[in-house]
Amino acid sequence: MTRGRRVYATAFAAVVGLAATGLAGCGLEEKDETTDVEAGSVDPTALEGVTVTVGSKDFDEQLIIGQLTLQMLSAAGADVVDETNIQGTNASRQALVTGAVDVYWDYTGTGWINHLGHDEPIPDTQELYEAVRQEDLEENGLVWGQYAPMNNTYALAVTQEFSDENDITTSSDMAEFAAANPDEATVCLESEFAGRPDGWDGFQRAYGMSIPDGNITEVGTGVVYTELDKGERCNFGEVFTTDGRIAALDLVPLEDDKSFFPIYAVCPIVTEETDNEHPEILEVLAPLAETLDTETMTELNAQKSAEGLKEEDIARDYLQEQGFIE
Amino acid sequence: MVDPSITPPTETTRPGRTAAVSPERPRLFTWRDFVIPLVVAAAVGAEVYYLNTADLSKIVEAQMTFDRIMDSTVEHIQLALAVTGLVLAIAIPLGVAVTRVRWLEPVALLVANTGQAVPSIGLVAIVALLWDIGFWPVVVALTLFAVLPVLRNTIVGLDQIDLGIKDAARGMGMSPSGVLFRVELPLAVPVIAAGARTALVLAVATIPIGYFVGAGGLGDQLMQGIKLSRNQQMFAAALFVACLALILDWLGGVVERLLTPAGIR
Repeated sequence: MTRGRRVYATAFAAVVGLAATGLAGCGLEEKDETTDVEAGSVDPTALEGVTVTVGSKDFDEQLIIGQLTLQMLSAAGADVVDETNIQGTNASRQALVTGAVDVYWDYTGTGWINHLGHDEPIPDTQELYEAVRQEDLEENGLVWGQYAPMNNTYALAVTQEFSDENDITTSSDMAEFAAANPDEATVCLESEFAGRPDGWDGFQRAYGMSIPDGNITEVGTGVVYTELDKGERCNFGEVFTTDGRIAALDLVPLEDDKSFFPIYAVCPIVTEETDNEHPEILEVLAPLAETLDTETMTELNAQKSAEGLKEEDIARDYLQEQGFIE
Repeated sequence: MVDPSITPPTETTRPGRTAAVSPERPRLFTWRDFVIPLVVAAAVGAEVYYLNTADLSKIVEAQMTFDRIMDSTVEHIQLALAVTGLVLAIAIPLGVAVTRVRWLEPVALLVANTGQAVPSIGLVAIVALLWDIGFWPVVVALTLFAVLPVLRNTIVGLDQIDLGIKDAARGMGMSPSGVLFRVELPLAVPVIAAGARTALVLAVATIPIGYFVGAGGLGDQLMQGIKLSRNQQMFAAALFVACLALILDWLGGVVERLLTPAGIR
């Protein structure tokens, strides 16, 4: 290449490089300014002048809870920053621990087994809550707030057709079916459930089942729902009891008639320092937590998963209904 | 009268004989070739010892049993071999075709580049959506992902063969397919094999992504360890995947050594 050509080529490459870098920023939208709310029953001065960063995990229920939190705290006068939709439980917890977020909601069961590293579950809701609250405060300086009475625990589910055809509505029915039709007792699980002591192994023991490994397919959480719906690979699938896709896909969660699965309550969590400086954060969220029972949470989840509404709108409507905001 | 300055031909100096009996001819394998397997064996051995003796969380103990790990490893190897086989079956003929039909080159490379540029987890998801979950969809997705190195290397390997050699072969009366199979491909083996080994390592390392759609393999243990925050399990599974990649790459090197014609070894 002649020198002139080389200069031209370099300049061209530089321009293209800069343009590409500049254009790369074009895809990112500004986060919606939906947290301008007027307080209803929430005290509008409780958190005046305080900046609170709210995190959440990445699935529907958590996104809705995240928005509820943002709007409640905003109504209480806080300047809120939306850092919801963090990928994964570990990352969400780490965000709180490192101070990237000030508050996020987690489940007592997850706290006990995943974060605090215990292997044996505690079956009683209140006992579990207190054990987690105490230990996380002592060991890690994290404060668990008031829990919501909703129960988002595991359940095995089948499609409506399968349930009608084989008259299966409880997990004991499932055990009977599996004993009578071992080839058709195919199950889709995701790996966390398959590994936890309060999961698959314990469940089989409690109901006297022993389904061979060959009948089990391990997939990602969301894929369980779609595979169950398709009905080819598995007739039974592990689901979360408040998940909106249960309603959307017309699935039937089997009743846990032997009460094996513990009740996992969800609570807002902050660090000790945050709680000492601004105890109002947990105080403002407590009345919200108290209203979230299983039915309510499932209904809100269904609005997102089944009807496709945005979580900001779902949150706003709900809070207005409850009188927390105008 | 015999001229004393002319030495009669002997066993070792007769012209036309290759260095088949020359003492300088390098051996096929030296002790250096066994370093990698030894390192891998040591690492695996150390990890197995740790898993058997250390104080493990109950979850880890239940999940990292010998049977479970062996099943996962076998599945993982099956997936890796399936991907490699499919990649070789697609990329080598395609590479040969591209060197013959030149306008195919941008098309083939575009597809291969896209396959590797699209995030592997996205590829797996797309294939799972359009087709099904399980073993073969993941194999297909990862094949798309790993085709590029082998395809590129096949093209380059064939292109860099001296035209004079090909000419000489034609001149000796070989048919075009004879030239391909007896001259071009053997000469291109080192470059193609390098691409194949890259593809194999990529495949082994990316298989855990297939966990989400039920592919199996060591990804199951790895993802579970991540989700449950059990570092011992995470580390063990990751170590096994890495060791598997190293061993398969080493085996690839052995195969490459055996396939390379003696003259250019």
